Amino acid sequence: MYDFDYHRPASLDDVAAIISAHGDFKVLAGGMSLIPTLKLRLARYSGLVDLGGVESLKGITRDGNALVIGAMTPHATVATSPEVERAIPALADLARGIGDPLVRNRGTIGGSIANADPAADYPAGVLGLGATVWTNKRKIAADDFFVGLFETALRPDEIITAVSFPLAKAAGYAKLRQSASRFALVGVFVAKTARGVRVAVTGAGPSVFRFRDAEAALEKRFETSALDGIRVEADGLNSDIHASAEYRAHCVGVLTKRAVWAARSNPA
Amino acid sequence: MSQTARSSRIGEPVRRKEDLRLVTGKGCFSDDVSLPRQVFAVMVRSTHAHARILDVDTRKALASPGVLAVLTGRDLLADGLKPFPHKPFTSHPADIAMVNSDGTPLFSAPQYPLALGKVRYVGEIVAMVVATTVAAAKDGAELVDIGYAELPAVTNTVAAARPDATRLWDEARSNVCLDADTGDRKGTEAGFARAAHVVRFETWVQRVTGVPMEPRAAVCEYDAVTQRYTLHAGSGGAVRLKQELAAILDVPAENVRVLMQDVGGNFGTRGFIYPEFALVAWAARRVGRPVKWTCTRQESFLSDYQGRDLAVEAELALDADGNFLAMRGSNIGNAGAHTANFSPLRKGVEIMSSIYRMPAANFRARTVLSNTMMTRPYRSAGRPEVMYVMERLIDLAARECGFDRIELRRRNLLSQAELPYTNPWGMIYDSGAYHEVMEKALKLGDWAGFAERRAEARSRGKCRGIGVANYVDTATGVPRERGEVTVHPDGRVDVVIGIVSNGQGHETSFAQLVTEWLGVPFENVRIIAGDTDIVKVGGGTHGGRGMRLASIVIWNSSRQIIEKGTRLAALLLNSEPSEIEFKDGRFLLNGTGRSIGLFEVAAAGTQLKDLPDDLRGPLAAFSDETVNVAGFPYGCHVCEVEIDPELGTVEIVRYSAVDDVGRAVNPMIVHGQIHGGIAQGVGQALLEQCFYDAATGQLLSGSFMDYAMPRADSLPFFKTEISEVPSPTHPLGMRPAGEGGTTPALGVVINAVVDALAGYGVKHVEMPATPERIWRAIREAQTPSPAAANR
Repeated sequence: MYDFDYHRPASLDDVAAIISAHGDFKVLAGGMSLIPTLKLRLARYSGLVDLGGVESLKGITRDGNALVIGAMTPHATVATSPEVERAIPALADLARGIGDPLVRNRGTIGGSIANADPAADYPAGVLGLGATVWTNKRKIAADDFFVGLFETALRPDEIITAVSFPLAKAAGYAKLRQSASRFALVGVFVAKTARGVRVAVTGAGPSVFRFRDAEAALEKRFETSALDGIRVEADGLNSDIHASAEYRAHCVGVLTKRAVWAARSNPA
Repeated sequence: MSQTARSSRIGEPVRRKEDLRLVTGKGCFSDDVSLPRQVFAVMVRSTHAHARILDVDTRKALASPGVLAVLTGRDLLADGLKPFPHKPFTSHPADIAMVNSDGTPLFSAPQYPLALGKVRYVGEIVAMVVATTVAAAKDGAELVDIGYAELPAVTNTVAAARPDATRLWDEARSNVCLDADTGDRKGTEAGFARAAHVVRFETWVQRVTGVPMEPRAAVCEYDAVTQRYTLHAGSGGAVRLKQELAAILDVPAENVRVLMQDVGGNFGTRGFIYPEFALVAWAARRVGRPVKWTCTRQESFLSDYQGRDLAVEAELALDADGNFLAMRGSNIGNAGAHTANFSPLRKGVEIMSSIYRMPAANFRARTVLSNTMMTRPYRSAGRPEVMYVMERLIDLAARECGFDRIELRRRNLLSQAELPYTNPWGMIYDSGAYHEVMEKALKLGDWAGFAERRAEARSRGKCRGIGVANYVDTATGVPRERGEVTVHPDGRVDVVIGIVSNGQGHETSFAQLVTEWLGVPFENVRIIAGDTDIVKVGGGTHGGRGMRLASIVIWNSSRQIIEKGTRLAALLLNSEPSEIEFKDGRFLLNGTGRSIGLFEVAAAGTQLKDLPDDLRGPLAAFSDETVNVAGFPYGCHVCEVEIDPELGTVEIVRYSAVDDVGRAVNPMIVHGQIHGGIAQGVGQALLEQCFYDAATGQLLSGSFMDYAMPRADSLPFFKTEISEVPSPTHPLGMRPAGEGGTTPALGVVINAVVDALAGYGVKHVEMPATPERIWRAIREAQTPSPAAANR
């Protein structure tokens, strides 16, 4: 770890002020990816701005037909929240399956989606439910938020404040873990929303993506048999020592069915 | 936690003395040792798998704040350091000899603690930076500028053995540094000539690494006045480390002291000296301050000795009734970049036929060098590999030739009447109830009830399979061990021995021996193993030798103490030694009710002035034994798995084991050893692999993000039973217990996986049996009707 300055302001305005004053400062949320990166000297920042002191970024509220989760809310809070369980049980289920208890107690929803790890769980939930990412500057639709490998639409001085999830008629998440890291080798989030069926895939590609053919099929008939013969192309999917693109493509098919099955057996 | 002597005797499941200390963070591991004025070393490692070193420019690094020294191979030679004292084989007379079949000597090349001229694997140390803090040393390390001329690399075992493969050593004719013909070629050919069935199996037992919970660490100080090095570093044993360190530093052994307290895992990984241990010692002399180095987890993946990596082609010949006639084939072990150790190859090939009746066998055994980290013996070195091969061959034979796999084993398993049995390599299995143990395991695993469980699993869409595997484990290792037992008048008993605990619980199990034989309180027995100023001789913890040899030397010492104590007691009680009986820690004068305790006798020996010379002084004895016979633990494991045929994921749902340890000193510890051993075997069968990129030789599994370890939720609750058929070759009947959990686990898990997939026509799945491999196996077996796989 290289030396860096450390700030822990109590308000979002102070965070923004520090960031705009120092170009190469990095925002620290739960630190589950950033701290190991620093420890291994894979990244170097002259300062960190810890969001842990900003109380307004924490908490879960119901806002009409939406569930709003503060950016600094840890996974464990989402996993055990009665509010989430009532509104979108599949989201609580997703949070329960992230990492291990230590990661769930420290890691946050804002940190996870800002990092946009291609194998993280939350991006599948955010994109699958068609959520809106709130920042200190604007509101970004999930479809516009995830841009690529570890890449989002966030501008350098922009900070996620919350994620607003529209309630779904039904939703389900299914994943296969990579055996070493236990990140999603492939994870599929399926949601039947007011604006149609959405299927989001994580782990399989360089970034979370929508499985449009499956959406179209499920739009006609929201059951597993509707997916027979619907496949995702292996071309462009991830291939590494844990799995080939071909196997990942196969898993997308199987897990989409399982996510539908989970959604149907667990309607909101 | 006080326990009475009676409940702490041999055979009792005594709770481990060391655990409260270890689980409350009060252990003292290598990195817990810090010395006044210490500075820190960081290693600069090769980023190439194979390259010539053109130039090492240290100037910028030396100018970096806090940097005290930057040392390279050139400095090392100038200071007269010597190469590692590699002995590719631990000499034990019970193991077979391995020589080149063309009569040429084995190729060996010097390995120095720093690379000279060439780097031969990613992670090889090129330079060392010493600085006042770890961060300053890391800063300096980033500034060491190394010029390389890259060379093509070869990491794959079979590829490295090809005559046209890139050669690691210009001095060698090829990368094959040992090519032996073992067993009996003619007899084997005759067996195959009259075979009704021949089954063939080809596999690669992939490379794995030990992943001890405690990464390696070392701190060394050098006393310029006495010219003595004191190294604190965890290892399998202190004495071997001292000798190896002295050899590299080229100083007399008495100028080196090695100390260690708690050691957090070994599995063979910690059995031998590492370059970093010699480097911190050398650096301590150079900079005049203690030098400390602590391995990061990534360095651990790169530079801990690795294990397994054996390419096998094997054939089994059977007659029409299923009797084994002969086996033959080829084993190629991958030694890594240096000619450090070929032991696993030998430990495997000499018992390829396991505990089955095998009239003849012939195997070509080769060791090959490659651009990878060196391999060393890793939990049960060589044996899990070959037991896996044999048990796969039997299942394949049953499948292909129409035998029942249990009946085929029953037919060929050696009976008690045939023991001792000399196998085709000349290994003599001493004893064992092989049939009874297998039947017990089948019962424990409820083999008979499996069909019902399979049907139930099918109703849930799961493919359930069951497997069985027998094994034998040749325990040899360093044959010599010394133990010294001293009874102190204040009520303590000290045992000095050269076998360091790496988690095995010696503080408890060795103390149980003393409690049993000397009748002293368990709490009062202290085991001293990790200080070479006290421990002069000892082979360390490996090869199933810990309890096997410790029990002998402690038993011999205890008997001498009782004999001497009896004569002292006779003097004190005014009687004859023949009238004294030793019982429960007291010397009793027959028929009188008069007695004297062991510690009172010890006090008299040191206090009374008018004693004969041989009774005067501390009540102590030692035993220095060289045990030239091998131990042969054996057993049988049964495993049951459920496979999700859509994703290819495997769940182990039942696992039962019966292991014969001859005599269990502490059954709880034995069960624990077996549990851990099974987990390690399951790890290899399903999860683990040191993954080197074939093109670049880069290690792609360099962290826990990519190297998959078994976890508690990967495993079911095990059913383990201990069998105790005393070994006639051990004075107390003991057989080792530390490796048997792992030895059959590879074979039994893969047998169960293949059985689960038998309905698809799958005949084999390579290790690690990952979901993708299983998915592909199903698909390939289903071709040309892929639709059926997606049912």
